Amino acid sequence: MSTSSNAYGAGIMAKTGKAFADEYFAEENQVCKETNDVVLVLKKSDEMNSVVQEILLGDRKADNPTLVVEDRAGYWWLKATGKIEVDCREVSELLGKNFSVYDFLVDVSSTIGRAYTLDETFTITSELMGLDVKLQDLATA
Amino acid sequence: MAISSATKAATDALSVNRAPVSVGAQEVHKWMQSFTWDFDKNRTKYSTKYKMANDTKEQFKLIAKEYARMESVKDERQFGSLQDVLTRVDAANRVHPKWNESMKVISNFLEVGEYNAIAATGMLWDSASAPEQKNGYLGQVMDEIRHTNQCGYINYYFAKQGQDAAGHNDARRTRAIGPLWKGMKRVFSDGFISGDAVECSINLQLVGEACFTNPLIVAVTEWASANGDEMTPTVFLSIETDELRHMANGYQTIVSIANDEAASKYLNTDLNNAFWTQQKYFTPVLGMMFEYGSHFKVEPWVKTWNRWVYEDWGGIWIGRLGKYGVESPASLRDAKKDAYWAHHDLFLLAYALWPTGFFRVTLPTAEEAEWYEANYPGWYDMYGKVYEEWRSRGCEDPNSGFLPLQWFAENNHPIYIDRVSQVPFCPSYCKGASTLRVLEFNGKKHSFSDPWGERMWLSEPERYECQNIFEQYEGRELSEVIAEGHGVRSDGFTLISQPHTNKDGKLWTLDDIKKIGCVFADPLKAL
Repeated sequence: MSTSSNAYGAGIMAKTGKAFADEYFAEENQVCKETNDVVLVLKKSDEMNSVVQEILLGDRKADNPTLVVEDRAGYWWLKATGKIEVDCREVSELLGKNFSVYDFLVDVSSTIGRAYTLDETFTITSELMGLDVKLQDLATA
Repeated sequence: MAISSATKAATDALSVNRAPVSVGAQEVHKWMQSFTWDFDKNRTKYSTKYKMANDTKEQFKLIAKEYARMESVKDERQFGSLQDVLTRVDAANRVHPKWNESMKVISNFLEVGEYNAIAATGMLWDSASAPEQKNGYLGQVMDEIRHTNQCGYINYYFAKQGQDAAGHNDARRTRAIGPLWKGMKRVFSDGFISGDAVECSINLQLVGEACFTNPLIVAVTEWASANGDEMTPTVFLSIETDELRHMANGYQTIVSIANDEAASKYLNTDLNNAFWTQQKYFTPVLGMMFEYGSHFKVEPWVKTWNRWVYEDWGGIWIGRLGKYGVESPASLRDAKKDAYWAHHDLFLLAYALWPTGFFRVTLPTAEEAEWYEANYPGWYDMYGKVYEEWRSRGCEDPNSGFLPLQWFAENNHPIYIDRVSQVPFCPSYCKGASTLRVLEFNGKKHSFSDPWGERMWLSEPERYECQNIFEQYEGRELSEVIAEGHGVRSDGFTLISQPHTNKDGKLWTLDDIKKIGCVFADPLKAL
């Protein structure tokens, strides 16, 4: 079980009964609090299982030490601080077939944060795209 | 032969903006931008008090070809799974009977929401002036049509392949008598398509989709799997693969008005109204379906709510927008109280009103009562002992002559309907954030359960004129109303709804209800 603060059962979620209620109803928890986290839900499939196990928790694990991945029956639940990025050219190489960013979107079930595509990369970020940061278009020659 | 001026204009444009040599989707998307469609002076039938900016983006750079390809792959996977392996392993009969009943409600109600979202996003397409934003909304119109079909299909699949088809098929025929229908129409219909266009977007996309679809369409699949249902994850997780674009549409709606002066005046009120409108129904109904409509529990509903609604939506969406003046909804404190208690309050009423429903309900077992008390300290004293009394009086047995509704009358606990949300509440016996307030307008009394709805009503009372079941059927005997409202199975006399899911238990009929002599009364007349 992950001990990361991004884990599914971290913080208040580890508490039960009265201890949970005391923190849940505490005065300081009656307003929304800004966080820099992002959440990604990937529907389980042949391709997504490979992306999770071989890339996000494999070759690219060191790139994002805050990333937590949890198995929630039909889907993978991912949470990280800042952003999660998937380069679909790497997925193509792994799968041995053409796999575009739109193939990736077939099984992306939910995003909490600002998700966008650029070329063959899928990104979900805590940045306010379109407000703090301009959304880029594909650079053409 | 001379070419037409339109052909010449197109030829000239193409000579300046060369078509891309490759067919890379994002290159085509970039090329299409060079046509500089101008909707700046867009005229719309659906006005808004906000000025939507003209340069808002669509975050996924979708073109029609990639959209169609993507969606066809999703459908192939979904229908392939349902029609092949899930049918072969008889998956629909492996579902726990209690969860089978929950899916009658969840999928039928979601279908209504998806259907109304078609109209809502069509309206937003008409209102927006940024070409990419229009493109995002247009994709969503097509998604919502897909989702409406998916929800209809899953009920069809359950009805055809599974157990107890009544309620999966044609649930809508009970819409006049079922006390959950009208509240659902308030959030899923009125909230999405009535009034200011941007306010509708906040209801649908920023709150409904970015916040509540996560428990409603994602977390629900975990409960489904735990209770033997593999059809729902197959369909619902596929539905949700479109929702991320809808959440992005909602966010871009906010981006488009962020610098408009009207946002500083109205946005926080509109956000709070939308949050309260959506949570007032979703919070108790989803909690009730998950916890009381399952045998195997995943986690307490309040934890699911705390994660997806408070921490993630509140922190990652609303919290991050704080520097643009977006505030934490003023009603959050009451919403949190509801997330802890309101689904318990609602189940008490739903069980009492069971004959008017289209799904079977089950009293908590002793083992479940222990789970509730461990996770919601104080549950037994408020709810558990009431269920014990109802069970001891034979509430499941048609020969008992006892409907739990009588208990409320015997103990002087009148049930009211909140005029704005249409959610039933019992102010003298509840732990959620409900208190009775009554106002009179045009000679008619209106009950409210909270100050947030009351405030919305005060600003436009003519919007909330829907009759509730107590007003509509006052003085009428219950079995007559059930028969008239199509609450019976195909034999014409056995009720669709039942107070148990025991396959050996006796089923209640119209005659059993008639013997009790229960007559509708409007509690507001007694005040």
